[in-house]
Amino acid sequence: MKFGLFYELQLPKPAGEEQWGPEDEKRIYHEMLDQVELADSLGFDYVFEVEHHFLEEYSHSPAPEMMMAALSQRTKNIRLGHGIVLTPPGYNHPARVAERLSALDLLSQGRVEFGSGESASEMELGGFGVERGLKKSMWEECTREITNMMVQTPYQGFQGEFFEMPPRNVIPKPMQKPHPPLWVAASRRETTMLAARFGMGSLGFGFETPDELAERTNEYYRIVREECFPIGHAINPGLAVLTTFMMADSDEEALRRSANGPAFFSHSLGYYYSPASGGRHQPGEKNIYDDFLKQNERDNTMSARTGFIKEDEIRKGEPEDEVQRALYRAARSGTAVGTPDRVRETLKTYEDNHLDVMIFVAQCGDREHDHIMESIELFGKELLPEFKERHEAEHGKWRAEQLAGIDYPVNSSI
Amino acid sequence: MARQDQIQDERLRDLIGTAHGSMRTGAPTEAMRTLVEALYRLIELKPELATEQLEPRPGWKMPFLSRWPQYGANWKEGSLDAGKPEIEFIRERFAMSEAITCYEFLLDTAIQREA
Repeated sequence: MKFGLFYELQLPKPAGEEQWGPEDEKRIYHEMLDQVELADSLGFDYVFEVEHHFLEEYSHSPAPEMMMAALSQRTKNIRLGHGIVLTPPGYNHPARVAERLSALDLLSQGRVEFGSGESASEMELGGFGVERGLKKSMWEECTREITNMMVQTPYQGFQGEFFEMPPRNVIPKPMQKPHPPLWVAASRRETTMLAARFGMGSLGFGFETPDELAERTNEYYRIVREECFPIGHAINPGLAVLTTFMMADSDEEALRRSANGPAFFSHSLGYYYSPASGGRHQPGEKNIYDDFLKQNERDNTMSARTGFIKEDEIRKGEPEDEVQRALYRAARSGTAVGTPDRVRETLKTYEDNHLDVMIFVAQCGDREHDHIMESIELFGKELLPEFKERHEAEHGKWRAEQLAGIDYPVNSSI
Repeated sequence: MARQDQIQDERLRDLIGTAHGSMRTGAPTEAMRTLVEALYRLIELKPELATEQLEPRPGWKMPFLSRWPQYGANWKEGSLDAGKPEIEFIRERFAMSEAITCYEFLLDTAIQREA
């Protein structure tokens, strides 16, 4: 199992304030650079950063390509992942995506991971005039053409349902051939299986349990073997999942440092993605963090902070709807929260179920930079080496068995 | 083994299998139309689906069938609330990703409900 960090660049407004402080946005950008630089030096494999627009407090990351360009010059080995680029053409013209990906791939010496998606929040869809009912179709058409642009010399042009373009040579071409590894954001099981059929890695935003993961892994790799028709020119078989992350020398201290992070992550995500609230957001006015604090007083969603809850207990009160369940788990489960011993034990269950990549949500809510740095360091020194060793020795062999007989070219960093 | 082979009802299994075949031959629009037939068959077999409600959060209820991905084969307005689900096609063509997503939703629901 490999490991990565995940960034929304969350920035709750200060409690009781209408706006952030003048230095706050600059601060979180530079903190992220420091965190990823440290992670790279310790051997973390990936950083994934989102592209979101207008989602105040939840995500201040509309231009991940800028951050990735900066990181390409401050890091040496860590893979630079778009988690994800919004590919419907209302957000980004496909040629601009191809150009930026290739330029970043050259700058980073071939370290780009191309995650793609479409978003579902009304703030973003409405802000860019992307029709909700067509976004999946747009994603497919544009993502396929972006891979063609990175491969064809010249790009032969396209007349599709959602964009058209005459023949042009889209340059530069990426360093990785035929193109960087492909991923798709998968908040539902259906999209994970879509990823398998299209030969893409699944960036799972559903906070799956190890049991669920085992079933999904088996089905995902079966489809890759038996039913894959690639969207790109090389496949990237792989399953990645997110989990919350905060380590310390004692469980109590890790919980304290985990703070409101996961619960705010869940609250603000739910706020923007719920039709009841997300579409009615008052830009520039609302303080979501204040609402979050009030809600916590009412329903005690911070109960997880009072002690570790076992997986089966967490699951007792779970919503049936998959997206809502992911939010519930994001707020309550502490998969990678605790001492090295506790975190090792939990992560091992994912490793035993053949997870390819575990991605840590460290920067979220009102967590403190110093705590995140210490946590990265603790994981990098105490746990990462043993997982790396097993990845090479055991997981590589398992993957080779899964992919035996596949004729398609594979470009994967796993 | 493809997962649709786990479906017990022969008619439902055939419909989902036909949709699967259409997807494999690159005909997503055809697949989507067959999937809608399969959806109706599932509701016929499990009529409780027509009125079942999810409660994602306390105080917020939504029909279970609203989880059906609406990419142009959409629920007719008001039909879910009335407990008489009816699909209307508001698009002529569908993408492969849309057909796959609906197929996976239907397959999961069918297998879970028959279990």
